[in-house]
Amino acid sequence: MKMASLTLKSITKRFGKIVALRGVDMHVEDGEFCVLLGPSGCGKSTLLNIIAGLILQDEGSVLLEGQSVDRLAPRERDVAMVFQSYALYPHMTVAQNLGFGLRMRGVAKQTIRERVLGAARLLGIEDLLNRKPRELSGGQRQRVAMGRALVRRPKLFLLDEPLSNLDARLRASVRLELKQLHGQIQSTIVYVTHDQVEAMTLGDKVVVMRDGRVHQIGRPETIYAFPADTFVATFIGSPEMNLYRGRLLHKDGRPHFQGAGFSMDLGGLQLNLGQGEVEVGVRPEDIEIGEGGNTTLKVKVQMISNVGSEKYIHARLGQGSLTVRAPKEAAFQPGQIIPLSIEPRRVHIFHEGSRI
Amino acid sequence: MSREHLEGTVIRILRVVGLIFFIIIVAFPFYWMIVSSFKSLGEILLKPGNLGLDIRKIDFYAYYEVLFEHGFLRYISNSMYVSIVTVVLSVTLATVGGYAVTRLRFRGREFMSFSILFIYMFPAIVLVIPLYVMFSRMGLRDSINLLILVYLAQTLPVALYMLRSYFQTLPLEMEHAGLIDGCSRLGVIWRIVIPLSAPALASVALYTFMIAWNEFLFAFMFLDTPEKFTLSRGVVQLAGSVHLSKQLVMAASVMVTMPIVALFLFFERRLVRGLTAGAMKG
Repeated sequence: MKMASLTLKSITKRFGKIVALRGVDMHVEDGEFCVLLGPSGCGKSTLLNIIAGLILQDEGSVLLEGQSVDRLAPRERDVAMVFQSYALYPHMTVAQNLGFGLRMRGVAKQTIRERVLGAARLLGIEDLLNRKPRELSGGQRQRVAMGRALVRRPKLFLLDEPLSNLDARLRASVRLELKQLHGQIQSTIVYVTHDQVEAMTLGDKVVVMRDGRVHQIGRPETIYAFPADTFVATFIGSPEMNLYRGRLLHKDGRPHFQGAGFSMDLGGLQLNLGQGEVEVGVRPEDIEIGEGGNTTLKVKVQMISNVGSEKYIHARLGQGSLTVRAPKEAAFQPGQIIPLSIEPRRVHIFHEGSRI
Repeated sequence: MSREHLEGTVIRILRVVGLIFFIIIVAFPFYWMIVSSFKSLGEILLKPGNLGLDIRKIDFYAYYEVLFEHGFLRYISNSMYVSIVTVVLSVTLATVGGYAVTRLRFRGREFMSFSILFIYMFPAIVLVIPLYVMFSRMGLRDSINLLILVYLAQTLPVALYMLRSYFQTLPLEMEHAGLIDGCSRLGVIWRIVIPLSAPALASVALYTFMIAWNEFLFAFMFLDTPEKFTLSRGVVQLAGSVHLSKQLVMAASVMVTMPIVALFLFFERRLVRGLTAGAMKG
């Protein structure tokens, strides 16, 4: 199967006075599964439409296999797209929907039939080929939409929140299938979502965006472990990372964080900042319950949320709040004071929003 | 009897009374026209107030005379020609035009969109005299094709407006899917927009046909040669002739009315909505 790399060079797009994209640069390798992740309105769908050629960028360039496609119409770019709403053709049967792209490209009837059947088998929708979209369930429509893209065998697949209209259970299973499918067909995919779970599980590469700007590009585990700034730090991970504003100081040659009502020993960290205003962050699962380590904090339990496999304890720390993960057996009561220990190497430190 | 029950009964009675009232107002002239057209001249002269029709005395002579001796065969074919050409042109132009103002961005789009209905606000009677003068000077008057042009100008604004409103309800993503799947803009219109707009296109066609078929003012002003008369013009010609027989005018009127009624009955089933069901989520 043919594949292609995709490069975006400082893509900028304005809608009237609103700047939707501000100089987006990114690169997707051959066969890579790239996820554009961000809150709604961050410009990720606009970016996808620009790659497809449905919207023209004001500045910048889109390159497929190193060649600029800026002057090509959507149909000439050899990309396929799966839409959030599926956008099936309601007046055609499933088979006609699947074969439409090939028919438009003048592929022989016999070949179309074979490829449609092949894609239908791959997605388990052979029995639906003669139905109209209105006779299908949401999950089936989603498959047809995927199939319509697969049949084309394009250089590049673009998926715009393809799972967001499925119910939670179906979404989880289709997500797995999608991952397997990518393993089988090995094609280049750009996938837009606002769901971090989808991004983390599907992506070889995740591009985190906000307000038309790329905040971080990297492997999912890298983005999770080393968020580039406070936005990425809090946007990825659930429950959210605990984040505190305060000052970085040096006591006895060791770095210390002095926050709102508590202080933390950061001894052992190599920091390229002497002292100043910082924000420190710790993920709920990186906090140990009990004494030990450099710093022990006393917090007052406020509320416990039980998600079944584990519990999250919401507690008061100084003038702020803190969330910590606890095993499902943990039996704390609201009002109880518990000790927590935080290892300095688990702490993320941000200066002026960016990681240091 | 409870209050709700009483209200329900009153509403039901009012509904029946209202329905009967409107049926009489609408249907009676229609009935009168049909019944009279089947009577012989003697019958009408003897019993002018007779509302009934004796089945055994049905007389088709009025139709024969109107068709073959008063030139209505010609008028019918003229009217057909004018109406069908107007429908084809109007639907075609309104489809591409309506699509353009709905989906494409171009300079003056807002202005065009706004002025579509503005044109329609001029009553025909205001336009007919200047147009009469203009076309007379240009030597274009007394032409059936000119009539088509005028009807087009009359029907296009509403046709555009109707189709634009309908196109706005079509999901944009579906058209995007078509563009990516390999269609050009015209391909998207032809393969996706038009098939899905069948009900709206049928409504527009029906509306245009009705206007062109029934139009009288311009036909009356612009056509001089009897061979070029349209039906409505022909009926007036007939009604104004000296030896007027009532049943002839009635037969002619039936011929004007029937095609419209037939079209309505035929299209009615096609005007159902909901062709886009299943395209989107849910």
